[in-house]
Amino acid sequence: MATPIAMPKLGMTMQEGTVVEWPRAVGAAVEKGDIVVVIETEKTQVDVEATASGVLRHLYVAAGETAPCGTLLGALTATGTEPFDADAFRREHERAGAGAAPPAGAAAPGDAGTPRRAGAQRAGSGRDPARTDPGRDQGSDPDPARMDAAPVTPAARALARGLGITLADIAGTGPGGRVTKEDVAAFAARRERLVAVRDGVMLEVLREGDGDPVVFLPGFGVGAASFAPQLHAVACAGTFRALALHPRGIGASDAPAAEAYAIAEGAGDAAALLATLGARAHVVGASLGAAIALELALRVPDRVRSLTLVTPFLHAGPRLRSVAAGWCAVARHGGVETLSRTLLPWLFSERALADDAGRERMRRGLAAALSVAPPDTLDRWAAGMAAWPGPPSAELRGLQVPTLVIAAGADLLTPHGDALARAIPRATVRVLADVGHAAASEASDAVNEALLAHLARH
Amino acid sequence: MSAASLPAGEPRAIPTAFAIAEALRIAMASDPDVILMGEDVAGGGLRPEGTEEIGGIMSVTRGLVGQFPDRVLDTPISEMGILGAAVGAAVTGLRPVIELMFIDFLGTCLDPLLNQASKFRYMFGGKARVPLTVRTVTGAGLQAAAQHSQSLYWMTAGIPGLKTVIPSNAADAKGLLLAAIRCDDPVVFCEPKGILFVASDVPEGDYEVPIGRAKVVRRGSDVSLVGMGATVGMALAAAADLERDGVSAEVLDLRSLAPLDEDAILETLGRTGRLVVVDEATPRCSIASDVAALCVDRGFDLLNAPVRRVTAAMCPVPFTRVLEEAYMPSPARIVEAARALL
Amino acid sequence: MTRPPTTEVLQVAYRTMRTIRSFEEALVALVTQGRLGGFLHTYVGQEAIAAAVCAHLGEHDHVASTHRGHGHCIAKGVDVRGMMAELFGRRTGTCGGRGGSMHIADLGKGMLGANGIVGAGIPLATGAALTAKLKRTGGVAVAFFGDGASNQGAFHESLNMAANWSLPAVYVCENNGWGEFTPTAFVVPVKDIAERARAYAMHALIADGMDFFDVYAQAGEAIARARGGAGPSLLECKTYRFLGHYVGDPLVYRAKHEADDWIRHRDPLRLFEARVTREGLLTESNLRAIDVDVAALVADAVARAQDAPFPDAGELLHGVFATSDAEGAR
Repeated sequence: MATPIAMPKLGMTMQEGTVVEWPRAVGAAVEKGDIVVVIETEKTQVDVEATASGVLRHLYVAAGETAPCGTLLGALTATGTEPFDADAFRREHERAGAGAAPPAGAAAPGDAGTPRRAGAQRAGSGRDPARTDPGRDQGSDPDPARMDAAPVTPAARALARGLGITLADIAGTGPGGRVTKEDVAAFAARRERLVAVRDGVMLEVLREGDGDPVVFLPGFGVGAASFAPQLHAVACAGTFRALALHPRGIGASDAPAAEAYAIAEGAGDAAALLATLGARAHVVGASLGAAIALELALRVPDRVRSLTLVTPFLHAGPRLRSVAAGWCAVARHGGVETLSRTLLPWLFSERALADDAGRERMRRGLAAALSVAPPDTLDRWAAGMAAWPGPPSAELRGLQVPTLVIAAGADLLTPHGDALARAIPRATVRVLADVGHAAASEASDAVNEALLAHLARH
Repeated sequence: MSAASLPAGEPRAIPTAFAIAEALRIAMASDPDVILMGEDVAGGGLRPEGTEEIGGIMSVTRGLVGQFPDRVLDTPISEMGILGAAVGAAVTGLRPVIELMFIDFLGTCLDPLLNQASKFRYMFGGKARVPLTVRTVTGAGLQAAAQHSQSLYWMTAGIPGLKTVIPSNAADAKGLLLAAIRCDDPVVFCEPKGILFVASDVPEGDYEVPIGRAKVVRRGSDVSLVGMGATVGMALAAAADLERDGVSAEVLDLRSLAPLDEDAILETLGRTGRLVVVDEATPRCSIASDVAALCVDRGFDLLNAPVRRVTAAMCPVPFTRVLEEAYMPSPARIVEAARALL
Repeated sequence: MTRPPTTEVLQVAYRTMRTIRSFEEALVALVTQGRLGGFLHTYVGQEAIAAAVCAHLGEHDHVASTHRGHGHCIAKGVDVRGMMAELFGRRTGTCGGRGGSMHIADLGKGMLGANGIVGAGIPLATGAALTAKLKRTGGVAVAFFGDGASNQGAFHESLNMAANWSLPAVYVCENNGWGEFTPTAFVVPVKDIAERARAYAMHALIADGMDFFDVYAQAGEAIARARGGAGPSLLECKTYRFLGHYVGDPLVYRAKHEADDWIRHRDPLRLFEARVTREGLLTESNLRAIDVDVAALVADAVARAQDAPFPDAGELLHGVFATSDAEGAR
């Protein structure tokens, strides 16, 4: 019987962590309560204690690597000699619902920290028919996946019943893998992030801070982690509630089957989120998210208090479309790490890439942001982006919403920020010299400063 | 009820046995119907000068006969006669307090409690009052062996119409005994050996601890340790151990075994989701089993782990120290049980 | 020496004895008709003892009784209608239907209860005597019990304590020759139960339990001693249980002629009637008038009991504790 060591989830907003150190070598004896792994999240190092005594048997994630919460990092076995199949144990861990099973075909390790929801809209159901016991009568067993699963405490069962949560979706952390009330509460907290938009589609919204709402719309193929410094800065300002919307197919958001996810559809989803807030919201979008933000502001101007467009575009140019196509292909065939290495030079400036340590740090951050976007989602947003005609210039000229445009001087993908500023007469333009397309990450301090000043004015 | 429900005077640290004597003195001084009966409770208080009375096996009642010469009655070693007469006296206007030397001796005098005192009120259509208190020493730990060390409070707690209380400290002992004596129902008042000679703060003056109310004696969030009598101290020691490991344990002192404060048990279970019940008695048909059953019956949806019982072993109480220690619950066993739930 | 009973005492005594007899005969009929259930032990044949002892007692005196307790209740003044309703399990019963035959008690009348446990009433009366002594009420406590109870530890412990403390108690042993289904002589080595008093240095008396006048005289002496501070007595009354141990007892263990002899020659009511008429203490018409009254009373008690309401099932937990009815469940 092996015991998993997983990336812990320390707080509501933690999505991932980096393995800093494995203090013990594989094969070393470990007592329950010993520190088995040191992880880092938001610049804080945390010691993770062994939940059982035994032998450190296998490491899945090496020191220096980053993984989403819930990811299997290592395994303990009671003795060093008992049979242990590392791959089978990982499959078991993922199947048991330590997080969502990656959608079919995804090569990414999976957004293990996000909940799997019952319902057909996710590409993968999470249940592998090949694993069900062929000798069991499927007709009389309502939930074969539960039969060989860990036990559930009555309190967990009651809470799940009250919240309408399917227990099969939850991994247990109690003794013997028992699903506890805390497990259900954590699952529910994650599920709390889901907001219904239209046609029953549920999108994930990450929240931080309390006050006037500031809605962040991430760019193509990335999750809220791409805005991590801004979310933190805005929340810490004390008067804002930062909300990062994961668009369709990103993170725990539903991924309805479609040829394309249109920009207008994204704007509609964002408008639905704004309608739930009860107050006018500041809206911040980057790249594709800026396009969605712009459509949103034109569609429901009285719900948008201010607009901040980071490295925006008015139509997807040939280079942007071509990079997006490569992005989709590499994601489908190469995995997140390969993708992050491939994209790095397109998204960051020469200056940023010059520093080895800084480059690796940015790559890891990028990988985290990329890991929540499966290939089908990328294809659909790439199609929607290519098909976007851009807003009519007359409408842009009439836009009354106070707008800040943050353009990047070394942006290879959307070098049109100044043109857009001209198209919106009331916009304020801030150009960051020698900064790449991923300005929010590369020049986070400058972006934060400009953003907070803009929010403060409006 | 004449006494204030809250302690009045300044507390001092005195042994539980002294606190019990204080309660007896206050009860007898404030009500002329209160009498004390038992073997050696006066203990030759009327002997020639130069000798001293023993005041019962634990010397709890020493000195009372001097103050209340007509109301402290030495009896023959006739438990059936004493208990039966006490019931008769209680229904006809006295408020007897009986000292049954050890609860083990229930075997010689169960009928007056089982079939008489407990049943009169109900059986007689709600018209009888049986203001009887039976003080009795319970528990192991003094190498008193199999016939003087049992914790048979589960027997009396299981009899409808009887109340059974068990203090865990000197202050509660005083307040619970005053409440028991002034109660119009028959009450078995247990005096655990483990606390009789342990000193703790006791307020001066006349006050009562209400019968039927448990008390949270330590707040915690991860696991509830439910104790009674001497096991409350064990649970507190275990909670201190657990705290060093970052485990926050709540400790509930039942204080009253019948009526049982079911709400308090369910409330602490609701706060922590995990419960260990610690009982000095043997496990079968015990208060521990009763509490566990309550948790499953009325608190099922609150359970975030199995309920664990830490009890004495299912054997007669052994004499020799090493076996007696193995027989009894201990802080280490409580810690072990709590850890297994986390 | 006890003074002879007055006419008034005799009238009351006859009324008591006749009421007991009629009450018990009514129960036998009701059980035979299938209208009454439960365990019923009748006092038929022993009426003179309860009537004569209680003739010396007032409301501040206490009696503790036995499973064969209807006679003691009636003699101590418990309402016959309430008793009958109790046997029918009605709300209007002496104990609201909660007690039944073996637990009829009326503390207001000094009746500490019939008792389902053989010998259990003896220490209760001892305690009542202790109360009387300590509170100086002037009261006396009487324990009625059978020959069987004199073999219980409670009997010996109580007599020892009462004698030692010189309590105002009288222990009335109704030796009816049978302990359930066993002859007394088979399980008791002493010729007279009264001999047992000697072990406790207690005053002892023996009376003919079928003779009201003898019991009246002996009980009068014992009760006067107790009331006067001279301590307790053991009064053995030789009597006979006319009917079985319980209503419905097939009586296979007892020779028929034994009971027939007692019933024919030693019926306490007939002995009483013969003497009071012979000595001109009461007239035939006095007695018949009482018979008519009693018959009407018992018939009325049965009729009212049958018409009375049962308690509500919702009252199940009421009266478990004096302090709170709600605690009954816990």
